[in-house]
Amino acid sequence: MTDVHVLGIRHHGPGSAHSVAEALASLRPDLVLVEGPPELDGVIPLLSDPEMVPPVAGLIYAAEEPRIASFYPMAAFSAEWVAIRWALSTGTLVRAIDLPAAHTFALHMAPEPPAPSSSEDDGGPSAEDGEPPAPPQQPYRPDAIGMLAGAAGYSDAERWWEDAIEHRNTDPVDRFAALTEAIAEIRAADDRPGDHPDVVENNRREAAMRRLIRAAMREGHARIAVVCGAYHAPALVPIGFPPVSADNKVLAGLPKTKVAVTWVPWTSNRLSLRSGYGAGVTAPGWYQHLFAHWMARDSATDVSTTWLVRVARALRRENLDASTASVVEASRMANALAAVRGRPSPGLTELDDAAQAVLCDGSPLPLALVHRELTVGLELGNVPETAPTVPLAADLAATQRRLRWKPGAMEEVLTLDLRKPGQLARSVLLHRLALLGVHWGEQNETGRTTGTFKEVWTLHWQPELAVAVVEASRYGTTVESAAATCVSERAQGAGSLTELSELLASCLLADLPDGIGGVVTVLAERTALQQDVAPLLETIAPLARTCRYGNVRGVDVTGVRKILDTTVVRACVGLPTASAGLDDESADAMRHAVDSAQQGLSLLPDLPLEDWHRALAAVAGSDRIHGSVAGRATRLLLDAGLVDANDVAARLSRRLSIATPAREAAAWLDGLLSGDATLLVYDRRLLQIVDDWVAGVDDEIFDDVLPLLRRTFSAFSRPERREIGEQLSRIGEDWQTDSGTTLDLAAAGPAIRTMARYLGWEATA
Amino acid sequence: MTDAQAGTDVLRAHAENAYAEELSALAAVDDRPRPPSWRLSPWAVTTYILGGTLPNGIQVTPKYLGSERLVEIAVASLATDRALLLLGVPGTAKTWLGEHLAAAVSGSSTLVVQGTAGTPEEALRYGWNYARLLADGPSRAAMVPGPVMRAMETGSLVRVEELTRIPSDVQDSLITILSEKTLPIPELNEEVQARKGFNIIATANNRDKGVNDLSSALRRRFNTVVLPLPDSIDQEVEIVTTRVRSLGTALELPADLAALSEVRRVVTVMRELRAGVTQDQRTTLKSPSATLSTAEAISVMTNGLSLAAHFGDGTVRAQDVAASLVGAVVKDPVQDRVIWQEYLETVVRNRPEWKDLYRACRDLESSN
Repeated sequence: MTDVHVLGIRHHGPGSAHSVAEALASLRPDLVLVEGPPELDGVIPLLSDPEMVPPVAGLIYAAEEPRIASFYPMAAFSAEWVAIRWALSTGTLVRAIDLPAAHTFALHMAPEPPAPSSSEDDGGPSAEDGEPPAPPQQPYRPDAIGMLAGAAGYSDAERWWEDAIEHRNTDPVDRFAALTEAIAEIRAADDRPGDHPDVVENNRREAAMRRLIRAAMREGHARIAVVCGAYHAPALVPIGFPPVSADNKVLAGLPKTKVAVTWVPWTSNRLSLRSGYGAGVTAPGWYQHLFAHWMARDSATDVSTTWLVRVARALRRENLDASTASVVEASRMANALAAVRGRPSPGLTELDDAAQAVLCDGSPLPLALVHRELTVGLELGNVPETAPTVPLAADLAATQRRLRWKPGAMEEVLTLDLRKPGQLARSVLLHRLALLGVHWGEQNETGRTTGTFKEVWTLHWQPELAVAVVEASRYGTTVESAAATCVSERAQGAGSLTELSELLASCLLADLPDGIGGVVTVLAERTALQQDVAPLLETIAPLARTCRYGNVRGVDVTGVRKILDTTVVRACVGLPTASAGLDDESADAMRHAVDSAQQGLSLLPDLPLEDWHRALAAVAGSDRIHGSVAGRATRLLLDAGLVDANDVAARLSRRLSIATPAREAAAWLDGLLSGDATLLVYDRRLLQIVDDWVAGVDDEIFDDVLPLLRRTFSAFSRPERREIGEQLSRIGEDWQTDSGTTLDLAAAGPAIRTMARYLGWEATA
Repeated sequence: MTDAQAGTDVLRAHAENAYAEELSALAAVDDRPRPPSWRLSPWAVTTYILGGTLPNGIQVTPKYLGSERLVEIAVASLATDRALLLLGVPGTAKTWLGEHLAAAVSGSSTLVVQGTAGTPEEALRYGWNYARLLADGPSRAAMVPGPVMRAMETGSLVRVEELTRIPSDVQDSLITILSEKTLPIPELNEEVQARKGFNIIATANNRDKGVNDLSSALRRRFNTVVLPLPDSIDQEVEIVTTRVRSLGTALELPADLAALSEVRRVVTVMRELRAGVTQDQRTTLKSPSATLSTAEAISVMTNGLSLAAHFGDGTVRAQDVAASLVGAVVKDPVQDRVIWQEYLETVVRNRPEWKDLYRACRDLESSN
């Protein structure tokens, strides 16, 4: 007769893990069954590999469609991890029991009623009929122990486990038996209808578990330990098993699909997300602490005090005061708080509150600093090289096959013409891989062309890149989704607006509309908080480029457009103030920022520019603003036709008058003139004023201004300079000689018509 | 019944008199363990502050509308015999909470030291009756104990208001009292030892400039609880409306006290700028240097009310609040002005129903 012990646990519950360890040690079963799709059986032995470091996740994905995948994360304090490691180290058989993922995935892929035979027998349509096929990322796993703890008034299910279960000095196996009874009561109180999708799914899974337990019992093992979620425990006790035929009916005719399975490295941060197990763990670091404490069986130390000591040490690393005496006070405070709240012992909530009131002067900010490091934890798991390939690599291989493109170990240069769809797809793939840190190709200069349709890459596939692919697999299962997630995460951590703008641009190149969403959110936040105007101005151009060319590539840019509009407004409001009181260097930077903003704004013809021009006018009109910036603003207004030449002449004359220090005058001139020389060539009045000023400047000061002037003029092309020189030589001559030249319209006619045709105008004459 | 009679003709009754019935009802049902000298158990104190229904059906009114968590931390602090420091911007009910805690724990909220820039050490320790001192020399009979000393002798709570306004050297005389729970009297070569139940509730303003920050030695003897501004806009609108109405009645302003029209808009502007994000959570904003607390919303509204009463038709309109609203937001003439203009252009301008407010604020800009 086989002896079956059901150990109902809380997923990622350190208390459960500890009890499971004790129960297994006293039971010494000859078969351990752990909740999880049976497909995991193939890779379970890898857990004993010394290179396997938790947290890791079992990854099952549909071989045809890696997008459909489930993760089964395990941390060192997960009961599943403890049970499997115990079995492997003692040479005991271990298997996973659950509904095979092959069925689960197929059920979710097929929108029609999954099992015709079973739904007919139920006498009504299945509730899953109208359910859209969603990727089964989160199998439904109710946290029954959390419910019990909540009923007992605990905020922290693990503290309840400690008080209500661990502290009873009973045999660990009896503890689980008592727990199973309590859960049976909870299940009896469940009043969801039988055709509720969760209930249907749960029934199916438990039937599958029972089928596997029955099979194991038939094999003739003396003692079997079943480690499963506490909610399932009452259904898995053999005495209460429904007839075999009932389970077979539930499981009959389920669709199937091909799945692949492997291990991937996981992180504490991802454990804290609601991924994989339905019950997300909010504080993996705290659980790790509890687990280590219980496993050490050290009754001399108090779990809350040791935790607060760690908090204090983390605070000190951040250069915040946290004395030993304060730790003592915080510990007493946590206990008092637990008493006020009517709890037998402090949980993480009490410890956080106490630490905030005593160690952090009531401010939540220092605690947030240590939260990531302590409460969540920074652990990164590792998976041995022998683990099977990850879906990201499979997707990459599939994409390469589709593009008929084999990675070569030799270095080769590839020129892509983005106007051809096949070559564009290759470019997109390379850009996406680059974002993921898989540097298969290095982009080269395109050479002497300003066209945007050509890209030159140097390709070189190195073995290390396979590792990079595995690393990147934590972002997603396909190259596209992984790149999008990666971009969003990098956007979160980006330090500057420039970095974000670059990410935005690379989203365009890599064709990641999903990634753009993530970057845009962060960008919206950052631009709003940005105090300096120059970085704001500099974001305008990349944003405008995204709006302009994103449309061309069929990306939805309404979000970007909204940010662009507000950024322009913010920059315009701040520009006059930010331009005041600048030294030469920062004035230079500001001028570049203004130029780049102007460039961006000119890309979008439908952008309302009144605010921008008003801001420029304020800058141009103020005498306190550095000449370089003010001069540039004047030039931009002149180009926009908002200031007429007479006005500019007046301003130039005022700026270059004797009372203005020569260096300032030169800076203003530089701001006005730099770019192209047409202004001086065609407006002789301006040239006259400049000429008079240069002639009138003191000899000593002239030495000072000369380098600046030289820089301004040397930027012009040789013919332009020659033209200016010629104009200068004629400056004393009568104005009329110039305009006296008659134009022969008849001779010029054909040329003008051709020009007009190029410009798209109607040539009528 | 003398207390109750005294409560009827005074302008404002002490908490322990105003809510005497609730306190005695709580004491009657309270069977949980009480810390030494406490009139109620920590549970009953929390219930008194947060309100609730007692097992015998008696309703306890909530005294503090806010986070239950904070009140629990405050009560737990007092139970550990660590002093409690209530921090917060003006108008966050620090004093109100302190008074009710003292009333519930010690049955008396009258032991209080008002902190000012001129608070002398005697206020925290003891003074002398100089006639007796000259006649008989130093003796206990010639001493005039301060509130802190009396609280130590009776084992009750004492409140210190605006702790950070007290000069630093005077503040530091609290260190011995808090760490060793004794008050030495060197003149008599004696000391007063605090009886169980003695504790201090201090309040301080964490936004004021020019205050005396606590020395770290003193600071670490306090458990700090930061009281936040109201959570929801409705709650804040209600607080502002009630206060402005009562102020308006007191000032006898002939204005529309019944329908205070602009309150919600003023509170919205204040909350949005304070939080750095618009109500719909869609636009991030910069926050100005001003506190923009509920108290300031009240003052903006009162100002608008008096403008409307004396120079308008008695109904508060956008132009009545605009000037004082800008004044409340723009404290730093350069930085805050940019922030305000940004807010005006990116948020106010885009709300069609706020057109009048936008116009009123723009008119102010151009007239400046």
